[in-house]
Amino acid sequence: MNYRFIVRPNLCTGCRTCELACSFTHSIDNIRGITRIYPLDGGFKDLWVPVTCLQCEDPACIKSCLVDALRLNPETGAIELNQDICVHCMACVAACPFGCSIFDKQHDIIVKCDLCGGDPACAHFCPTKALEWKPIEVKKKKVAI
Amino acid sequence: MHLDNPQQLIDWHDKIIAKQKKIKKKILVCCGPGCLANGAQDIIDKFKTVLKEKKISGFTVEALKETGCHGFCEQGPLVVMEPKGLYYTKVKVKDVEDIIEQSIKNDKIIDRLLYNDPQTDKKIERYQDIKFYSHQKKVVLNNLGNINQCNIEDYIANDGYQALSKVITSMSPQKVIDTITKSGLRGRGGAGFPTGRKWATCRKVESDTHYVICNGDEGDPGAFMDRALMEGDPFSVLEGMTIAAFAVGAKQGYIYVREEYPLAVVNLQKAIEIANEKGLLGDNILGTDFSFNIKISRGAGAFVCGESSALMKSVAGEVGEPRAKYVRSVVKGLYDRPTVLNNVETFANVPIIIRKGASWYQKIGTPKNSGTKAFSLVGKVRNTGLIEVAMGTTLREIIYDIGGGIIDDRPFKAVQTGGPSGGCLPASKLDLPVDFDSLNEAGSMMGSGGMIVMDDLTCMVDVAKYFLGFLVNESCGKCVPCREGLYQLHALTVKVSEGKAEEADLEKMEKLSEMVIIGSLCGLGKSGPNPLLSTIKYFRDEYMAHIRDKRCPAGVCRALITYKITDACTGCMACIAPCPTNAITGKKNEMHVIDQELCTKCGACFAVCRYDAILVS
Amino acid sequence: MVNLTINGRIVQAKEGEMLLTVLRREKIDVPALCHHEAVEPFGACRLCTVEITKEDWNGYSNYVTSCLYPVEEGLIVSTHSPKVNELRKTILDLFLARHPNSPEIRQLAADYGVFKTSYETVVDGNNCILCAICTRICDTMGFHAISTVGRGHGKEVAPPLHQVPPDCVGCLACALNCPTHYIEYTFDNNYLTIWDKKFELMVCSRCGKKTITKEFAEYLSKHRDIPFSYFEICDECHRKELAATMGQITSWEREA
Ligand SMILES: Cc1cc2nc3c(=O)[nH]c(=O)nc-3n(C[C@H](O)[C@H](O)[C@H](O)COP(=O)(O)O)c2cc1C
Ligand code: SF4
Ligand code: SF4
Ligand code: FES
Repeated sequence: MNYRFIVRPNLCTGCRTCELACSFTHSIDNIRGITRIYPLDGGFKDLWVPVTCLQCEDPACIKSCLVDALRLNPETGAIELNQDICVHCMACVAACPFGCSIFDKQHDIIVKCDLCGGDPACAHFCPTKALEWKPIEVKKKKVAI
Repeated sequence: MHLDNPQQLIDWHDKIIAKQKKIKKKILVCCGPGCLANGAQDIIDKFKTVLKEKKISGFTVEALKETGCHGFCEQGPLVVMEPKGLYYTKVKVKDVEDIIEQSIKNDKIIDRLLYNDPQTDKKIERYQDIKFYSHQKKVVLNNLGNINQCNIEDYIANDGYQALSKVITSMSPQKVIDTITKSGLRGRGGAGFPTGRKWATCRKVESDTHYVICNGDEGDPGAFMDRALMEGDPFSVLEGMTIAAFAVGAKQGYIYVREEYPLAVVNLQKAIEIANEKGLLGDNILGTDFSFNIKISRGAGAFVCGESSALMKSVAGEVGEPRAKYVRSVVKGLYDRPTVLNNVETFANVPIIIRKGASWYQKIGTPKNSGTKAFSLVGKVRNTGLIEVAMGTTLREIIYDIGGGIIDDRPFKAVQTGGPSGGCLPASKLDLPVDFDSLNEAGSMMGSGGMIVMDDLTCMVDVAKYFLGFLVNESCGKCVPCREGLYQLHALTVKVSEGKAEEADLEKMEKLSEMVIIGSLCGLGKSGPNPLLSTIKYFRDEYMAHIRDKRCPAGVCRALITYKITDACTGCMACIAPCPTNAITGKKNEMHVIDQELCTKCGACFAVCRYDAILVS
Repeated sequence: MVNLTINGRIVQAKEGEMLLTVLRREKIDVPALCHHEAVEPFGACRLCTVEITKEDWNGYSNYVTSCLYPVEEGLIVSTHSPKVNELRKTILDLFLARHPNSPEIRQLAADYGVFKTSYETVVDGNNCILCAICTRICDTMGFHAISTVGRGHGKEVAPPLHQVPPDCVGCLACALNCPTHYIEYTFDNNYLTIWDKKFELMVCSRCGKKTITKEFAEYLSKHRDIPFSYFEICDECHRKELAATMGQITSWEREA
């Protein structure tokens, strides 16, 4: 079964529960991590957009990493950053066109959304289902011969 | 002529022999490093011009041979006349005409050029009768001093390339390995690892390609056996490597030559070209489908580059730093491929073993240490030079028979073997048989074959200090125990030599040494404390004299000695000028005095005084 | 999978894994100063040394650096045997003699009960412990801007010929990963200086926040196929831009 992270801005109320969930989930030594998800003003009345990593298919972050610290986790579909390998050069932070590789000042590390290893906390706690982690049927693509 | 099958080699060999038989008399001029330094090249040139001018019947320039090192370097330039073995020492250009006129034309012996045995004060005509030679056993170095360097015809006339031909025509790789294993050959590069076992392991590793490397880095200070072989008998090294390549399945080989050996590079390069031309190296050797190429790789001039993993990195063009060998280089060596690395002398042994058989070889030396070992014998012995002895020969035989004893009949104090990785052995170990195991057990090492003899005027603290100082600079600096540990050990020996150490420092040195040995990454660090540990072990009293009595018994450590002028002084004034600090004053025919405040203890006055009036205490 | 015994406990590990990786996973505290996951193991500091043996070694044991030692079936490991502890103490003692002013070294040494070096303090010893993490990271990233030069006790880390390194792009990876924070760098307005080389920083065209150096951005753009325009705004403004775009789309959906 395949899961997909689904974002529906029109359901978002800007309550920022997702931020809290993310931040708590990514605590290190009981110190909260920086959030990887940001409900931002969508530019229209009552419109909020939860901005987070799109787990791109051709990710600029992976391309920018010169030490191979970012890798796709095929099981969750998340691009994960291996903290042990990361050399903190900020290439991915600068390269991501959506600003979703983030410097965590608190812990002095670079972070990005890892879909919580396959069970994103933000989706769990979103009261309006603006964020959902849903199983989806993947239709096998027909391959042209 | 390109040899397309083994038969052609045999034919060629026969032809050369027939040709050489016609040459009845030979003049062998040693062109080893020592003799060259003393002017052997001028002697050769002179011989050539005189021979051309004089046209002696039955004697042509072909009879003149520029040979590799004959061994007795300190008596050089050496000229030997075969078939008799007439032996002339310290030959000068002006002697050449005499030699031709008297010894060649008229078979007369020139007395003044003969070797004078210092022990009996008698002149000796033939080199075979000189003790320096008669106690040696020449196997690997046999060609040196007998054949022209880089002359393949000479090499083949002396049974060269018969082993390769035998291997290619009648032996399987496994059989070659079995023969080498059975011969008991152990690596001559220092550690004495069984060569057959190394080759067998390498052969078993599956890979697209294997490599064979010859270690000609020879970094031990004072050692020059490998140099002499590479310069004087390069074909034997090439043949040995080719046989190794056949055995392990390698197509490419490298010879890593130390930067300071330009002549070795020239001669090896020449030999490689000739061997390639003749079909004894390169593609389809002797017309078979076995191919093997050799390239020369020039060293980076660092001692540590002799260490196998550093050497391989250096060959690959990287910085010569060792790596951990938990995966050994026979499995993953040069360019991560299985690689056989052997010392120059190891390879030079191979053709001889194949030619004469494993059982023949086994009989030389001792059961676990078969064969011979070349040494460069230096220091305070009468006869210094390049020697080769059967394994198991005692230190006493080497030092007193071959070496002719200590200069000025002073007491023997210690012998240092194995270079910076080895140790110093005292007089009580003089009857120790020289082989890998006995030396290790005694706290020293075979090393690549340096042997430094020391008399009672040598201070053992100073010796340890010298070697540690060498290693502090030569360590690659990668790992901490070696880089910082040897530095501190050196600092502690300096402290001892300055009389500033305490008894506790001795224990500290021993403890730190142990940690450097277990903690270091490569053999350099792991053996680096050996010179220190062995001197502490055998000469503890001397350390204690420095520490407790603030005295250097050998009169070497500057901080602990004073130079004084005694009443033996004749007032000759000879010492006044050499003193760099003008510390000596005195009038003609009156006793001189040294101002201790100004004296820097350089020893310049001591060296010039003809009346032994200067006392070191 | 292979089975090994670590400090009396049976542990499983993957074939080919290095011992240190396993020790870290098992939360066994073994000091390691020259180890960094981004680069190949090196074996310079020797602090990660452990004692190993096997059933059939007849009581013989060996000392190996765990960062470099591939796990083996039946290996028996002690990470804090008396000899190993003594070795670590000696190494830290030697470090203290050479880098007496490094807080990191002093802390680690103190953890092992070494508070003052028992050796002669090295005159003008700096804080570089020559772990070569910086040079190895620089090499791995593909710049080769700095290297260790010289050998023996005088070895040091430096750009080629001690000149301003032409290949340095100012990514700061060397300085940020130096275990003793030895490599200096300074920010000054829109400039960063490291290894005596002055770099212009990228400045976000919207908010003015400074990001990576221009040279680094150009390198990534050229060698990594990333449009240079990506580097012209900062991460925060990137997120805002994404929110605006998605907001626009959502508003159209609402209208529809
Ligand atoms: C610091 C160091 C220096 C070495 N230098 C040399 C050398 O100069 N020549 C040499 O043949 N082997 C040298 N060795 C030994 C080599 O590492 C290697 O063991 C040897 O070349 C293997 O050849 P063998 O089996 O024929 O002895 C050195 C080893 C160490 C640790
Ligand atoms: S033991 Fe010495 S020479 Fe060998 S790797 Fe360590 S520092 Fe380098
Ligand atoms: S500068 Fe830092 S990272 Fe580089 S070798 Fe020195 S201690 Fe290691
Ligand atoms: S981490 Fe293993 S030697 Fe430094």
